Amino acid sequence: MGSSFPLYVGRRLLWTLPTLFLVSLMVFVLMRLVPGDPALLILGDSATPEQLADLHAQFGLDRPIPVQFTLWLGKMLQGDLGHSITSGEAVLPLLLERFQVSAAIVLVAVALAALLAVPAGLLAAWKQNSVLDTMVVAAATFFLSIPSFWLGLLLLLFVGLKLGLVPVVGYVPFSEDWRSALTFLILPTITLALIELGILTRMARASAVEVLRLEYVTHARAKGLSERRVLLRHVLPNAFAPTWTMIGLVLGNLLGGIAVLETVFTLPGLGRLLVDAIFARDYPVVQGCLLFTAAIYVLVNLVVDLCYPLFDPRVSAS
Amino acid sequence: MTTAPSRWLSAALAVLAGLCTAGLAQAQPQPDTLRIRLNADIRSTDPGVNRDNNTDAVMMHVLEGLVAYREDASVAPLLAQSVTASADGKTYTFKLRQGVKFHNGAPLTADDVVFAWNRYMAPANNWRCLAEFDGRGLAKVLKVDAPDAATVVYTLDKPSALFLATLARVDCGGTGIYHRSSLEADGKWREPVATGPYKLGEWKRGQYIELLRNDGYAALPGPRDGNTGAKIAETPKVRFVIIPDASAAKAALFSGGIDLNYDINDEDMAEYKGRKDVLMETQATMNVQGLLFQTRDPLLKDARIRRAIALALDMPELVAAVTSGNAPPSRSVVPTPSAFYKKPQAAVPPRNLALAKKLLAEAGYKGEPIKILATKRYNSVFNIAVLTQAMVQEAGIKAEVEVLDWATLLDRYTKGNYQAMAFTFSARLDPALSYEMVTGPKDKQPRKVWDEPLAHELLAKSMETSDAAQRQALFDKLEARMREDVPAIFMYSAVNTSAARSYARGYKGWALGTPRAWGVALRAP
Repeated sequence: MGSSFPLYVGRRLLWTLPTLFLVSLMVFVLMRLVPGDPALLILGDSATPEQLADLHAQFGLDRPIPVQFTLWLGKMLQGDLGHSITSGEAVLPLLLERFQVSAAIVLVAVALAALLAVPAGLLAAWKQNSVLDTMVVAAATFFLSIPSFWLGLLLLLFVGLKLGLVPVVGYVPFSEDWRSALTFLILPTITLALIELGILTRMARASAVEVLRLEYVTHARAKGLSERRVLLRHVLPNAFAPTWTMIGLVLGNLLGGIAVLETVFTLPGLGRLLVDAIFARDYPVVQGCLLFTAAIYVLVNLVVDLCYPLFDPRVSAS
Repeated sequence: MTTAPSRWLSAALAVLAGLCTAGLAQAQPQPDTLRIRLNADIRSTDPGVNRDNNTDAVMMHVLEGLVAYREDASVAPLLAQSVTASADGKTYTFKLRQGVKFHNGAPLTADDVVFAWNRYMAPANNWRCLAEFDGRGLAKVLKVDAPDAATVVYTLDKPSALFLATLARVDCGGTGIYHRSSLEADGKWREPVATGPYKLGEWKRGQYIELLRNDGYAALPGPRDGNTGAKIAETPKVRFVIIPDASAAKAALFSGGIDLNYDINDEDMAEYKGRKDVLMETQATMNVQGLLFQTRDPLLKDARIRRAIALALDMPELVAAVTSGNAPPSRSVVPTPSAFYKKPQAAVPPRNLALAKKLLAEAGYKGEPIKILATKRYNSVFNIAVLTQAMVQEAGIKAEVEVLDWATLLDRYTKGNYQAMAFTFSARLDPALSYEMVTGPKDKQPRKVWDEPLAHELLAKSMETSDAAQRQALFDKLEARMREDVPAIFMYSAVNTSAARSYARGYKGWALGTPRAWGVALRAP
């Protein structure tokens, strides 16, 4: 990679700054345009104009929007994302705490899905148009089609309620009790892994089918190499790149929050925090969540791009 | 000899068995902890400052005020032994109960009451009910004195029939009395050190709030009675578990993950009823639901059209459908559990399509669409809108339903920006407050649906006099006038149905609709 690698990384990181600024600005403006008043949501249907005015002043919502944005931006550059209007908590520690929950599930689920999807896709491509291929494609299509909340609820009711093998609500951090933590995270992780399995399997199969048609594969077979060697040494490294890109996109997307699953499994994750904040018009939390999510997305994709040379030495920073 | 794969398999099975054991353990009842579902986290522990219904519900287990609401929504002494009002209605003397201690063991004195009151009244602390007592509301509290350690005297600038009721309001934190040690050295709120049957244990944001029994609690004699009466903490701990999703809450109750779901969805009733290990109980509350009209709308400013809509509704049918038969229909803004809910309030006129059509013809209605706003945040509100649309169609009224999220609906309600709106009001425990929530000058408060001089006058009188008979007469007049003018069509008082595991005995819902953990014991399953 040489000396161009740090430059490449530096350039990519620099490009994230205008991206994040634009995201912040858009979110700020859009949230203020959406009808709904956080002060009103706090006070409820009996809110008087005086109470509303008091709360607006308390939260700084009585200031002009450009002033509000400038103040928020200034604090954000110092690492202060403000305080939640709903709970008064500082936004950044809140985000990090919730992110740990979502990340634990997403990272394990995507890893599990990838570990199953890549071999399944490869095998299906190798045995294209066979019964195995049909079964793999059917299963992948099934998991691609079903809504995550439906699968989650089904597993919850069957595994949690009927069989009583895992608790149906609650969460315990790993730092407190890893065994209990695992019991709470097993079902959501399996649900998410199954959902993502569909798309990753289809991608792995499609790219493997493409590579299997190439001449060098025929050449490798003609040389007398075993099918195992052809698949693992020659097909997989070249077919994996698109799947790796998809893994990156999926990871970046999911790390922003898996609100539906977090609601079904009652997990205090980032997705649920964002959805609750939107409904409550909790502007600082929404802004913080979306900025954080955008940063994560950009970072994950940067890491994915930087890993390409590991699979294909022809790809380099330059 | 075992092979590597079989060793891995054995290890995996052992881990799985261990995890399942842990999982099963989690699902078992915890004999020392009553687990109650909350649908969202609380906002803060500072009473009446940053709150919502869930916050109030939890904090009423920890804090107590001088007075509180009884089961029948009347106000009774709680930390006070007695309350005496002067002849002119401007002075209230509270004699404090003896033997009451804070969670830290310090005895309750009149000075503590004054301390808490002064903090409530400091504008910087943003107490929700400040405006009720600082001159902007019904009566201004001129001063609060503590002539001795057991006596507190409030002096008002004018008499108010709602003074005690406002002190007791749960959204005001019950004007709960807390010890100085509830604050940090710099005056910021730390946590409540109060006198309630429970004290704050652990608050894991987004997950649960755990309360611990106050072993030094001085309970009132007699039975449980609203937020007053005997509050016996039968279990050492109460854990309010946050479960936003109703289906997940149902699964949690059935699996033993929680012990009580105090407000189940009407649609899930049949499923809960089918369980032998679940006890259910239904209670009418002080929340009213119905349809509001914007009386300044070009179409709906004609009272004949509003009356026609009311006549086009088959109220018993509509309410039975919306509440799965759990609530009776009620056309009054006064909630059914109220002591002032009498014959005039209980009357439900029958459906009369012929008269509805006649009124529409007289008003010159030509089929213009009427938009009814609703929200899916509360299923009942959405169902009211849909059923209204269907029923009024039979009278020739064209109605459209527009669904908004709760924040937007609340915004439109506050600004009066709607033609018609299906809505749910939070509980008001005094009929004057029920009428006040909908009556007033629209120019100053656009959310008010009824801007009528006679109504204002009657309402003002009901807020001044404390005489029950006089107040009843005023409420009856308001009822009659409202039914004539139809600024809104109230349909029913919401009911709460609770579901508890059979080993959780003694739970009883009440008019406020909030859960009460005291009096609930966990028997061996």
